[in-house]
Order: sequence, then C-alpha cells, then structure tokens
Amino acid sequence: MADQNEQSCKLHPQTMCPAFGALRVLTRIEGAHPAMITDTGCLYGLTFVTHFYGARKSLIAPQLGTKELTSGTMMEGTYAAINKAAEEPGCRLVPVISLCVAETQGMSEELLPKKVGNADVVLVRVPAYAIHSHPEAKDVAVSALLRRYAADVNPDEGEEKTLLLLGEIFPADPIAIDALLRKMGASVGVALPSRSIDDFIRAGECGAVAALHPFYRGSVGFLRERGMPVVGGAPIGRDATTAWIKSVGSALKLDPALVARAVEEERATSDAVLRAQPLSGTIMVTGYEGNELGYAKLLVEAGANVPYVSTSIGQGVLTAGDEAWLKAHGTKRVVYRKSLEEDVAALDEFGADLVIGTTPFAAIAKERGIPGVYFTNMLSVRPFFLSGGMAATIGLIKGLLDRTPRYKFMEEFFTVLPNRPQPATVS
Amino acid sequence: MTTEQQKKPDGVTLIRDLSDSSGYWGSTYTLTPMTDVHVICDAPLGCFNLLGTACVDYTDSIPHIENLTPTAITETDVTVHGTAGITLKAVQGVEREITHGLKQIIVVSTAESEQIGSDHTDMLAKHAPGTRFYYSASLEEDEWQGRDRALKWLWAEFGAPGTLVAPTPGTVNIIGPTYGCFNAGADLHELKRLVQGAGGTINLIYPYQSLLRDTPRLAEAAVNIVLHKEYGSGLCADLGRPWLAAPFGIQDTTAFITRLGDLLGTHAQAEAFLAEEKRTTLQPVWDLWRGPQGDWLGSMAVGIVAGRGYADGLRRYLGDELGMPIAFCAGRPAMPGEPDNLAVREIIHKGAPPVLFGSVNEQIYLAEAETRGTNFIAAANPGAFVRRALGTPFVGYSGTVWILQEIVNGFYNTLAGFLPVETERSKRQAAQEGPAGRYAWSPEASLLLQRAVDQAPYVARISASRELRLAVEQLAKARDLKAIGPDLVTEALGTLTR
Repeated sequence: MADQNEQSCKLHPQTMCPAFGALRVLTRIEGAHPAMITDTGCLYGLTFVTHFYGARKSLIAPQLGTKELTSGTMMEGTYAAINKAAEEPGCRLVPVISLCVAETQGMSEELLPKKVGNADVVLVRVPAYAIHSHPEAKDVAVSALLRRYAADVNPDEGEEKTLLLLGEIFPADPIAIDALLRKMGASVGVALPSRSIDDFIRAGECGAVAALHPFYRGSVGFLRERGMPVVGGAPIGRDATTAWIKSVGSALKLDPALVARAVEEERATSDAVLRAQPLSGTIMVTGYEGNELGYAKLLVEAGANVPYVSTSIGQGVLTAGDEAWLKAHGTKRVVYRKSLEEDVAALDEFGADLVIGTTPFAAIAKERGIPGVYFTNMLSVRPFFLSGGMAATIGLIKGLLDRTPRYKFMEEFFTVLPNRPQPATVS
Repeated sequence: MTTEQQKKPDGVTLIRDLSDSSGYWGSTYTLTPMTDVHVICDAPLGCFNLLGTACVDYTDSIPHIENLTPTAITETDVTVHGTAGITLKAVQGVEREITHGLKQIIVVSTAESEQIGSDHTDMLAKHAPGTRFYYSASLEEDEWQGRDRALKWLWAEFGAPGTLVAPTPGTVNIIGPTYGCFNAGADLHELKRLVQGAGGTINLIYPYQSLLRDTPRLAEAAVNIVLHKEYGSGLCADLGRPWLAAPFGIQDTTAFITRLGDLLGTHAQAEAFLAEEKRTTLQPVWDLWRGPQGDWLGSMAVGIVAGRGYADGLRRYLGDELGMPIAFCAGRPAMPGEPDNLAVREIIHKGAPPVLFGSVNEQIYLAEAETRGTNFIAAANPGAFVRRALGTPFVGYSGTVWILQEIVNGFYNTLAGFLPVETERSKRQAAQEGPAGRYAWSPEASLLLQRAVDQAPYVARISASRELRLAVEQLAKARDLKAIGPDLVTEALGTLTR
C-alpha cells in the first residue's frame, strides 16, 4: 500500500485513552488512592471515564497549567497531591499517574518518595502519545505493581502447583478455571489485576503464570526474568482449551494422566455446547479491548464466519498463535492498531450480520440496519473461558443475531428523513 | 476556608474530581455542532477519544462526534519532530477523504501541543490555505472561557460584516448550547417556548442548530439570549444588541418575559402569555404550594452543585421563592467563598442535606459516606446522565414545575422507604422488639437518640424513631443490660449520633 493511502486509511485510530487502562486497574484496588499529574482537559476526561468504568473513587490532582509549567512547580504539586491522597483513611498505596503533559515536562522518579506514612508511592507512566491502547496501559500498571510488590518475594517459598492468572476477566471465570485445575491437583494462586494489594505480593509465589490476554508483555517479561514458567494462549473454545490445559500441565509438572482426563472432560462438554448452539452468519469482531482474537476463535468454532478481526493492541509473540489459528480457519484479515476507516472498509468488503465493535463502528453498523453492539459493554461482562464461557458467549451472540428485524426497522424509520442540515460549499 | 484548603503548600492548588474541563474541550464542543465545520485536534489519541467518544457518549448521548479527527501525536513528535508534519498530513487526509472542499477545516490546539509550542497559523497559511488554526489556550482557560472565546472568534473571523446591518424587528438569537452542556435540549426547548410566547421569532440557535455559513446572520437579530450564563456574554457584547440570560424560577421568568416583550415591541402579547402561563404551565406550582407538599419545603434543606446559571437559578427559586433552606451552593466556575470539591466532599461526609443537586462527584461522596435518605437530583456534568427528553427543563416556568416535581417525588420515595413493610426480616425484628419501657433510658441517652432521629427527613421521623430505638435496645439485650446510657447509644448508632 502506498504511503498516502495508508495515511488516509488511518484518520481515526480507535482506542480509549490509553491511560484509562491503568486507571481502571489502579482505582479498583482497595486502599489505593491515585494522584493524577496532568492538565485539566486530560484530568476531566480521565476522571469522567474512571468514575463510569473504573471505580467510584475520588481522584486528587495538582493544578498543572502554564503557570505551574513555567514556574517549575510541578514536583511541589505532585508532592502535595501524594500527601493529600495518603491522608485518606486506610490508604496503603498512592499510584502517581504521570500523563502526557507531566511526562513531557519530565516527571522524575528519583525525586518521588518511596513511601508516605503507611502508603507506598508507585510511579506509573502512561502518556497516551507513547502507549497506544488502553489494554497495554493495564500492563504498565500491573507490571509497575509487580515490580514493587513481587520483586522481593522468594519464589521457592510459594506452593508449586499454583497458577497466576493474568488478565482482567469475569469474576466467574477464575472459579471455573480453579475447578478445572483442582481436578489435576493444582489451583489458581491469584488472579491479576486484583482489588487486593496482597495479591500482587502473592503473585511472586505462584508456580506458573497464564497470560489470558495477549497484551501483558511487561508483566510476563518481569515474571519470566524471575524464572516463572509462562503459559501462553487462553482456554477459549474447544481447540485452544485442549492446548492450554496441556501447557498448564507441563508448566506446573502435573500428573499426565490427570491432565489427559481433564482434557477429555472439557472436550466432551465443549462438543455438547457446540452441538446445541451452532452459530451461522458473518460476524465482525472489532473491539479495542485486546482480547478480540480469542473471541473471534470461539465464534468461528461455533460455526460463524469471521472474515475480519481488528484490535487496538500491537502485534506480538502473544498474539501470534491466535492469528495463525484464525487465518487457518477462514479469517481473511487481522488488523492491529486499527482505525475506524479500516473497520468500515472491511464492512464494505465482507458485509456482516452482526458487528461487535467500538461505539463509532457499532453506530455505523446500526445506520446500515446491521445489528451492532459495543464490544466492551456487551462481551466483557460475561464468562468467557472453558465450556461454561463458550455457552454464555454463544448464547449472547445468538440472541443478538435474532434481533436483526428490529435493526432493519429502526434503520428504515430513521433514515428516510434527513435528520441534519447538509453542508454547502464554504464561501 | 476549610481545613483541607489550609493544608495546601504555597503556590500549589489541589483539585479533587475536576468539574470543569479545559479550553480545548470548550472550543471543540462549540465548533463541532456545526456540520459544515471539521475540527482536527492537534492531540494524542487520548484527548481525541475522551472528548469525541468516551465522554460525549454519556454527556450528550450521541455515539461520537463525527466531524473530529486527531493528528494522533506520538512520542517522536513530542521529542523530535513537533506536530506540524502530522497536522498537515491530517488536513490533507481529511480534505481528500471527508470534506472535499465543502467544509471549513479548523485545527485546534490542545494542552500537549501547546506545551511543545505547536502554533500552526503560518504553516497552514502557507501549505493549506483556507484551513484555520485556533489556539485553545488549554493550559490556561477552562471550558467556559473556551466556549466564550471560541464564539467571539467565530463571529470575528466568519461573521462580522463590514457594514452595519439593521436588525429584523422581533427576532431573537439564542446563544448556546454547545456539546457538553447538561440538559441542554430541554432547556433550549423551554427557552424557545418562552421567546415565542412573548412574541419573538427565533433567528439563529447558535452554534447548536446553525451552520458556520449562517454566522453573519447573527447580526440580524434584535435581541440575543444566552442559554447558559457561563458563556456567550462575550459574543453578545460584540454583537452590540440588547441581551438577556435564560431565566430560572417564577420571578425571574416573569421579568424575562416582560422585558423581552418590551425589547421586541410585543408588550401586549407578552402580557397575555404571562396570564395564560399562570393558568396552564405554572398551575402545578400553585397547586403543590397550596397542598401538603408545600408545607414540607421549609423543613427540607437543599445542597446545590451545578454550573453557574443552574446554581444561581436554583438558589433563587428554591431558597428565595419556595423558602427551602440552602445548605450550601457551589456554582461552576466558583465564585469567591463558594466551596470547591475538596470542601463539598467534607460537607457531604459530615452530613448530606435531604435534597442534593449535583454531578457524579456528589453521588460518589454520598456513597463514600453511606448516606441514606438523600434525594440526589442530577444537575451538572460530569456524570453519565441521559438528558435528551424535552420535558426535563430547569429553565423557565416549565423548569419550576419539573424541579418541584422531582423534589416531591424524591421525598415520596424517601418516605416510602421508611414506612413499615412486612418482610421476613421485619417479622424477625418485630419478634425481638419488646414493649416500650422495658429498658431504662437515661436522659442523656434519650437526647442522643432524639438527635439521631432528627437527622431523618421530617415525615419519616416516626418510623426512624422506632427503627433506631430498636437498634439500641437490641444491643442492650445482647449485653444483658437493663439500663441504657449514652455510650451504648453511640455504639449502636455510630455516626448518626455525632
């Protein structure tokens, strides 16, 4: 593709503000009171989405405008905000969230205290201009906390047969995974990101880590350096679940006979789910949460045609397996760091019976009478893993496909009349 | 000054849960309602997404702002290249793919681009003639200043005619709303109704229902009205015609209609409209005032956190006209002496009033304090509130009715929550509850109980009294005590007796 076309194709990159990923992880931790170091425009927007999607947690920040930037008082403001946050009853952790303007000004980690009162102070650098998607900022937050809390844990002290789950998942999913592990003589150690600071300490004691989402590069890198075996992929869909259970078995050195039996049992239930609820039709999986490839695999196994998958995260070692599987099973194109233009072009090219996308793209689908839903709100709030997750997800998708006539009616009703003035030439 | 404010070191201002955004937001929300404008924000992806999708989804209930494109500043732009290159690329891409010469492209600066000194005025004049650069002063101005200055800029750059234009008699411009203004649709609807009732004709609703190419026509109206006190007065001054602000409450609305009639030369029509309104739109206020509902108002304190216009309007209507005690009032932008969010949080934690107008921030403070029995009424951004129905105004006569209706309905709800209902739990409680007089209450203990009961809404106090007495007596029973002293009451009721 020529340079010029490339530019025109990517006018509207799709991601939540990357920093939000870190805020979501950090504000949900009990006893954590963030200090945000940024300008007011950024502060307003991030506070807004955090209060809607993260936690009902009050957020403190120093004023940071021209006056403070030119007089060089950013660090004084940062200290004041840290001290204020640390005064909150029961505060154990003050994440210092350093955003675009603060990073450009030069936020100095050396000048920050390590502790204020009973609270640990941890710098989390998440300038939107350097981190390209909000899932990847979750990794920045988790790895910052692991480096602070898990670094001094002696790995030999922990129980060998515990698995660290990495990835923000539906609350029922770790329970289902734990039940599976127990059949093989192992268990879930902790699931991160977690609401408990202590879980970040315990993470260092686990026998192996399963990166259930493919964007925890920094966290996985830290744990691997410590000698912790890494299980890639996730137990999503029939084929991947088989491979995943076997990988867990070898990472935790479990009894091969127990592992084989667990594989057989999951396979049998998965087959039953797939037999009972086959999907048909063409589905676009175009969210920005970073777990789109896994969803697409599940839908393909259930019988759907998924010609196009796009995500906001970057391509990497952890995405390679899913991409290869999808391309071997009929997916024509997998796009990373996607833009709205690429999604729309794919819709033009492949058509769809259902779009699971970002809000702008789901809106465009609905304008064409195609059922469309916001990936984040609809899919992230349901179980996803193992046979139970398959059943829940397939059930949801079937329900959405059945709603097609309503989307058609609304499109025809609302697009008959032009609902806004058409611009004419600017004189 | 609150204790929190006193602790701040010199030269540092702390912000809790920021209520007002920056000049970038205000100006972009002012420019983008006009569909013949396309804004390119010189911004990292985050500033584009938060303003154009993530927040506007929930403040304005639209899927996203379609005529907004980012330059998508990356790390090398910040450290090495600057943003001129990506800005020009974005302008060319938008021109080729979206606007095709049919729209005015305006590049708007953001805090990040301003920090690294990106002013594209000369670059655009040279390489993309016709495209305009707007410096949003995002590191200095708040969103209200941002809106006000953007409106002045629009008039100066795209409107102001060289020669004087005579106004068309009887016509009115409404200045505002823009995107990001709480409840704008319903308030605009009511304001239009008042203008037309007083005999006026709407010329432009600017910028919300206008095109950029309509801008010169701002000169045609005889009177301008700002929908939001927070912005628009700058443009009104430049337009040089008489101007008014949207009214709140009974007296201000009455004065507004009379004055508008005088300004438009439609005095008789305005007077007739007033008389008709009293018999129709306003009748519910008169009925509620005469009914039992009116009696409760004097004992129900109200806290107000809202934009300047709403805050002043609610204080006048609820405080001066209906006689509700005003617990506190915090307008945005704040006036000297008004509490900031650090102080508002402290006030709510110490004890929330039974009626509280506010944003998601105040909802969070109520939740943190585990407050029961406060009737929260959404009155401001930030927060996820759908306010697109036309029948929920705060402005004008319709506003007086809707606000009163909300207060009374909230009160009914609170009341219902205190009335007995038979559940498994209540039956267990009833079985535990002995006859009055089984325990000897000391006078100090009785006083503490009374103080806790006094914190319940007036009409709910009988139920609250029973509930709280039971809580104390159950603790006495558990401890095998026959006499109840103040310590036991404090222990049983905790913060309620403070």
